[in-house]
Amino acid sequence: MSEWEPKIVSFLCNWCSYGAADLAGVSRMEYPPNIRVVRIPCTGRMDPKFFLAALREGADGVWVSG
Amino acid sequence: MGIEPGRIQFSWVSSAESTKFVQVVKEVTETVKALGPNTHFVKHEAKVA
Amino acid sequence: MLEYTDKIREIAARLLKEGTVEMVIGFRKGTVPMMNEPCFVTDAGDVDRLIWDGNCGVNLANYLMDRKEKIGIVAKGCDARNIVTHIVENKIDRDQLFIIGVPCTGMIDRRKVAAAVDGEILEVSEDGHNVSVRGQGFEKVLNRQEVLQQNCSLCIHRNPVISDELVAEEVPEQQGVDRYADVRRIEAMDPEEKWNFFDDLLSECIRCYACRNACPLCYCPTCFVDESRPQWVGKSQDPIDVRTFHFLRAYHCAGRCTDCGACERACPVGINMRVFTKKLEKDCLEKFGWEAGLTTDARPPLDTFRPDDPDDFIK
Repeated sequence: MSEWEPKIVSFLCNWCSYGAADLAGVSRMEYPPNIRVVRIPCTGRMDPKFFLAALREGADGVWVSG
Repeated sequence: MGIEPGRIQFSWVSSAESTKFVQVVKEVTETVKALGPNTHFVKHEAKVA
Repeated sequence: MLEYTDKIREIAARLLKEGTVEMVIGFRKGTVPMMNEPCFVTDAGDVDRLIWDGNCGVNLANYLMDRKEKIGIVAKGCDARNIVTHIVENKIDRDQLFIIGVPCTGMIDRRKVAAAVDGEILEVSEDGHNVSVRGQGFEKVLNRQEVLQQNCSLCIHRNPVISDELVAEEVPEQQGVDRYADVRRIEAMDPEEKWNFFDDLLSECIRCYACRNACPLCYCPTCFVDESRPQWVGKSQDPIDVRTFHFLRAYHCAGRCTDCGACERACPVGINMRVFTKKLEKDCLEKFGWEAGLTTDARPPLDTFRPDDPDDFIK
């Protein structure tokens, strides 16, 4: 196996970071491919069980961004 | 609770800040990479004999 | 303690006779020593079933949710705080309640008593300072302070925060107790140590959910552990599932837990799960200056926003 790469589950707010991610894509910016994006309607939707579920299913990190 | 600080991160990025978004993604990835694979909270499927 | 019982009976009889309330919730003697049961009295003739002693650790606030009738309830310090929490969360109306406040001197930990003697305990009685234990072929007197539940020996809210009538003079509150020594000890561990500590702590758990059922805060129509679509918590005995259950249960109590100890008391295998809720209690106190259930006038920290809320964890 080649060098280990982390899998990071990211919960992005529809109105903030998800928009930023979209803009980054439109602007053809480059960023690490390690994040797996889950769009949430608002950071207020976050729940401790999402963190634990992500880690339980094998995520190496969890990132929440509003 | 036995999860290293840094494995879970929070940030705030406005929808106009694509540069900051890229910056934060890099930071988050670096931090988690430095911590290595998550071994603690992962649920392993029960081995069927 | 005997005076308390007489006074509780007297108040209960009066309330039921006058029709102020339709039901009084209190305690009656359990079928085994040190296990008093909740008791629901609707007839003034039955008030002699009510008692009070150091084994009334069950949190009676648990029986109030969504009741429609007028209720008289016997409440010690922590019960009263949980009643306040219920009022704040609209689970019961203050006008429906007549709170019979009991200034509390702490509840006896039946495990500590059982550990102090050999053989089966047949009878336990107490006065202000001592607990006398009698069993087959032995009798022993224990210091009451030494066999209190841990949460009671750390309690700083022994007198009910709200009540309509007190059964006795208020007791002096304990001063200078270090309530969070065990939490600080865990906080000081590194992640690996913490992981092992919790592994050890929860290894006995059989997922019976007695802690959830005994808790007056746990009243969701469908608990997250019973949900199956989506299923956030596995239902197995897998250590990760057990841990997920305990962490999430504790988080649901954040800013609401009054450290009444009902969870720990109900646990059949004696897990000290209060270390989780206590950590959150400590955080609430330090970060938001909040202690649960002290007033009906303030909203809890988790449903309010203040510009000065701590946010240093956000980049």
